[in-house]
Amino acid sequence: MKPRSPIVLEARDLTKVYTRGSEQVTAVDGVSLQVRQGEFLAFVGPSGSGKTTLINLLGCLDNPTSGTLALGGRIVFGDGKNISETRLTRIRRQTFGYIFQKFYLVPTLTVIENVTLPFAFYRKEGSMRDPLEVLRFLGLEKRINHRPGELSGGEMQRVAIARALVNNPEIILADEPTGNLDSARSREIGQILRDLNEEDGRTILLVTHNPDMAGVAQRVVELRDGRLAPEAGSPKAKARRMRIRRPSRLKPKRIL
Amino acid sequence: MISIYQVAYKNLLRKKTRSALTVIGIALSAWVLVSLLGFNRGYESALNKDIDNMGFQVLVAAKGCPYEAATLMLKGGTGLRYMKQSVVGEILKHPEVEKVTPMLMAAVFDPNKGEEGGISGYLGVDPATFPAMKSFLKFKQGRWFTDTEAREAVIGYEAAELEQREVGDTLLIPEKNVELKVVGILSRSGTQDDGTIFVPLAALQKIFDKKGELTGVGIKVDKRANMAALEQKLYDLPDVQVVSLAQVKQTIMSLVSTAKVMVLSIALIAILIAMVGVVNTILMSVYERFQEIGILKSMGAMPRDVFRMIWVETVILCLLGGGLGIGLGLGMSKLTDLLIRRLLPYTPTGSLIQINGRLTLLTVAAIVVIGLVSGLYPAWRASRVRPLESIRAEGE
Repeated sequence: MKPRSPIVLEARDLTKVYTRGSEQVTAVDGVSLQVRQGEFLAFVGPSGSGKTTLINLLGCLDNPTSGTLALGGRIVFGDGKNISETRLTRIRRQTFGYIFQKFYLVPTLTVIENVTLPFAFYRKEGSMRDPLEVLRFLGLEKRINHRPGELSGGEMQRVAIARALVNNPEIILADEPTGNLDSARSREIGQILRDLNEEDGRTILLVTHNPDMAGVAQRVVELRDGRLAPEAGSPKAKARRMRIRRPSRLKPKRIL
Repeated sequence: MISIYQVAYKNLLRKKTRSALTVIGIALSAWVLVSLLGFNRGYESALNKDIDNMGFQVLVAAKGCPYEAATLMLKGGTGLRYMKQSVVGEILKHPEVEKVTPMLMAAVFDPNKGEEGGISGYLGVDPATFPAMKSFLKFKQGRWFTDTEAREAVIGYEAAELEQREVGDTLLIPEKNVELKVVGILSRSGTQDDGTIFVPLAALQKIFDKKGELTGVGIKVDKRANMAALEQKLYDLPDVQVVSLAQVKQTIMSLVSTAKVMVLSIALIAILIAMVGVVNTILMSVYERFQEIGILKSMGAMPRDVFRMIWVETVILCLLGGGLGIGLGLGMSKLTDLLIRRLLPYTPTGSLIQINGRLTLLTVAAIVVIGLVSGLYPAWRASRVRPLESIRAEGE
């Protein structure tokens, strides 16, 4: 934890209400939270607790019904501000790299083409990554000319991670990144995320229901019925309570 | 590094059969379009060529049925009307007239022709003026006659084949029992001259006892002159009918225009169907890729990027189809030509389908415009996909 690092993301009373049929569902109910640069936050909680909705709000993929969201001190949502999709896209691509449960690789493109696809739309001038270097770091250097169909699930998720990294995002958002992977592959992905955080100082927000995955995070936030459970005690204590063990590092590695 | 154009192109390879079928649909409509445009152009120019090949633009005929040739075929010459040869002098007085040539058409029943006999037609022409006016006529054998009294004949290509005559042979006019000496055989010209037997005017007048009489006078009008004004003036001559070939052309064109409108509507429908096909194909692929498009947007794609990508896909399909269709149009123009000849009552002799660079460009432009228009809705639809849609589909 780096208490002195600046706040990159701040939510205040964030609320999201869905209308499902005639029913009003409050998926996220007045969540306030601060994320500092270099933090690794895991959101845990039972199904339907609103963790995916929350991370979508934090990642500017969804508009909150009420509440405020600020990125680097600049208010994105709230204060009655109405933000256009174009401006939102601009904010998203400057700030976030997204990793999803399903990898959503373009099946007709090779690994290297998939990874460089974000450049077709946006290049973060001066700070983009060398895609080959990213792929080498993720152990995919021999796969660059393969198509997604020729890869294993773990490899596909690593390609998706590489794709999220090439524009050097400040914050990585990972929504159940190991949901489709077995435990060995999950550990691998967890290790990568931890390396990205510890060695590279990247801020990571992770949604998972896998206690092992949550264990790699510095800070675990529990959600119940759309509300944050009180952050009692240190993350270690909480992990212990949730029977989460922070695994020892497998192999030290120099990252990006 | 990958561009959205490559992404678009590779997307089309994903469902190869579907893309191919759409391309074929566009190709067929492009084929129809380019053939039709080629036909519009070709028919008119072939007709113009036919008319130019007559050597004169205005025909003054004796009052009665203006279509003397038709009368001849139907009534075996009995319906022919005659006018005095002196009319030639009257016509020449007009300053608009560049050249004139007097003609006498005569016909007899030939019992030996075909199975039940048939009509043999002869055209008496003036050796001094007629060859000059029809300078494009080429000889296969021999030459024009020079003496207007000579009992000689020049035979058109098809007539010579039918009569099986060569230069030096004799040709008998049935009923009159007069023998003509064949002095020339024309090469194929693709005009009605191919089926004509030309005889010196004075000789034919004598044989048919029509001294000083004519059935028609061909007039070549000065290029700078006002043709309509001349036609009006010619009507002042007694007992004549003025047949302007411009009018004939107009009549034929208006007959054909009905057919053209029909074909054009068919082409339009074909294009509409192809368009609907394109919209359907692209829309399907947009719906199938909703999540993927959402991910592209989470990657930083602006609505206009997605719009352009889908639009490019549509245009690629249309360009491929258009190119293929034009290729078909060019490659199969002979076949289309044959087909049209079977469908239309009257067709000129030249090539009916004329596809040139300008037409090709025009068709490509039309197809691209169609592509751009049919791509609008799917592209707009895709550009409005929100990144969340791709994630929400996962559920929790």
